[in-house]
Amino acid sequence: MIGYVARRLMQLLPVLLTASALIFGMMYAVPGGPVGVLVGENATPEQIEKVTKEFGLDRPVLVQYADWLGRAMTGDLGHSLHSREPVAKLIGERLPATIQLALTATVIGLLLGVPLAVASALTQGSWFDRGLSGWSALALGVPTFWVGILLILLFAVQLRLLPAASGYVPFWDSPWQMLRNTILPASTLGLYVSGIFARFLRGSLIAELNADYVRTARSKGLVESAIVVRHVMRNALLPFVTIVGIMLAGFIGGAVVTEAVFTYPGMGRLVIQAIGSRDYPLIQGCILVILVGYMLINLAVDVLYVYIDPRIDYG
Amino acid sequence: MPLRRPARSDAWRCGGRLLSALGSAAEIGKRIVVRKTAALSLAYLVAVALAAAFATTVGFDPLSQNLARMLEGPSRDYLFGTDELGRDILARVVYGARTSLITAAGAVTLAASVGVPMGLVAGFFGGWRDAVLMRIVDLKLALPSILLALALIAVLGRSQVAALTAVGLTGVPTFARVARAQVLSLRRRDFVTAVEAFGASSPYLMFRTILPNSWSPILTQMVVLSSVAILLEASLAFLGVGIPPPTPSWGEMLRTGKEYLYESPTYAILPGLMLTLTILSFDTLGRALSAVLEGREDAPVRRGAGPA
Repeated sequence: MIGYVARRLMQLLPVLLTASALIFGMMYAVPGGPVGVLVGENATPEQIEKVTKEFGLDRPVLVQYADWLGRAMTGDLGHSLHSREPVAKLIGERLPATIQLALTATVIGLLLGVPLAVASALTQGSWFDRGLSGWSALALGVPTFWVGILLILLFAVQLRLLPAASGYVPFWDSPWQMLRNTILPASTLGLYVSGIFARFLRGSLIAELNADYVRTARSKGLVESAIVVRHVMRNALLPFVTIVGIMLAGFIGGAVVTEAVFTYPGMGRLVIQAIGSRDYPLIQGCILVILVGYMLINLAVDVLYVYIDPRIDYG
Repeated sequence: MPLRRPARSDAWRCGGRLLSALGSAAEIGKRIVVRKTAALSLAYLVAVALAAAFATTVGFDPLSQNLARMLEGPSRDYLFGTDELGRDILARVVYGARTSLITAAGAVTLAASVGVPMGLVAGFFGGWRDAVLMRIVDLKLALPSILLALALIAVLGRSQVAALTAVGLTGVPTFARVARAQVLSLRRRDFVTAVEAFGASSPYLMFRTILPNSWSPILTQMVVLSSVAILLEASLAFLGVGIPPPTPSWGEMLRTGKEYLYESPTYAILPGLMLTLTILSFDTLGRALSAVLEGREDAPVRRGAGPA
């Protein structure tokens, strides 16, 4: 197992190298490049030269990349061009907020999606089942920023129950305040994934329900609820866990729009801010962290397989 | 022995092909329209497209300001109300449809015309070309397309062309994957082997033999991706990096409308409704197409980690 994890971690390296090289290359494709951002538009040639020297931007691109890479290995992602603060620190402030939001959203998605999937798989072809496919089409198609706006209109503007703008309150500080602040953005994202969860789980549940072992279990007189809970669910869970993992990972960097609707201080807003101000070290750091997060979650899912399905052995 | 062209003239062949294409299009159309939701979606999209096309003729004016009547709700004069500068929201929604549809059409065309050849080549030759393509597809899976589009906008600047390019490029891997899968499944089929035995060149095999037999999944993907493109364009505009004002765009309207939720709730609701209906219509149409053309009733989830 440890060998497997080590091998998978090694496989991360080429992807990260490609991605970081691409982003690094992109910074030089931009007119003006990092120097332009540093000195502003009305800089004199002397200022430009001074800044270029100071930040080592006169060295060959490959040398600069190697330099950045070497430091990144030790956790030093450079400094933001704007606030001059370490990139690692800026990301470190936002990452917990994003993870908390992503987890809450996934939990809401599961609470909505799993019961729907089970109920519709057991009543295949009924009006309820058809309603579910409509629901998942709706959940997937409706833009999250519109859902978010509607939720704000209802719960903040009309009912005045919840804040329209959500801050980050760590769960350990105040579970109640955390819930008040996170419930709207998390529901927005949760509704979206519940459609995906429900459709996927329904599919794999139906495939399992038609399997031979279910017929055997029925013919030996096992009650239906035990068949579903103890046999079918367990087998249907495997492909489903992958989807849950992919969605959770997607939220690390992909909740950009939802975070913007609720002005939630997560990674997504940090990325927009960085891109908007062309803060290249910050962009690079954010994308790298998002990629690593995505791949680590995928790895965690694969490791989880061993516990869900004892037949799997990575050796 | 090189392939010999048939004796019929080119004009004759083109005409014949056009007729048979029109015939099968009508046939497919018939089979789609019998599905109630698909027919409804098609009708809605046609209505939106017509409104967008003839907006100027009908006399919609998205720019004229009436500062005496700002942020009004729906009324007889302004069916959708007015925005913060007293502009007609209905007119802006109709012009927004134009922005949305043009961007989507351009982006999907761009994505298909870059992605399909990439996928064909990768699948046909395999080896390093395939390896490179698959790494790109992997990267695309890990990075949400909204981030990719944002990064591209950062490089290209903010303009109509930039929005179109950014949205289009994020769709390239999808088409590449579809085309690649088609090559892999058709490459060893008898009709391809037969043409190859006649000495046809690789480009001929890829573009004249395999591609014409791959239109169904590509066409389906184009419709499905239209909805993704519209959502992505609106998301970029909502984040404030889409097509620059004063060009009306649904995402931009939602962005400003969100600032006036207390004063005029319909400002954000109505453009959002139009946007949502358009996206859902393209989705429904895509599912119907995939059912009719490929015999798959339940289309798979199309957005991995979509713009959330």
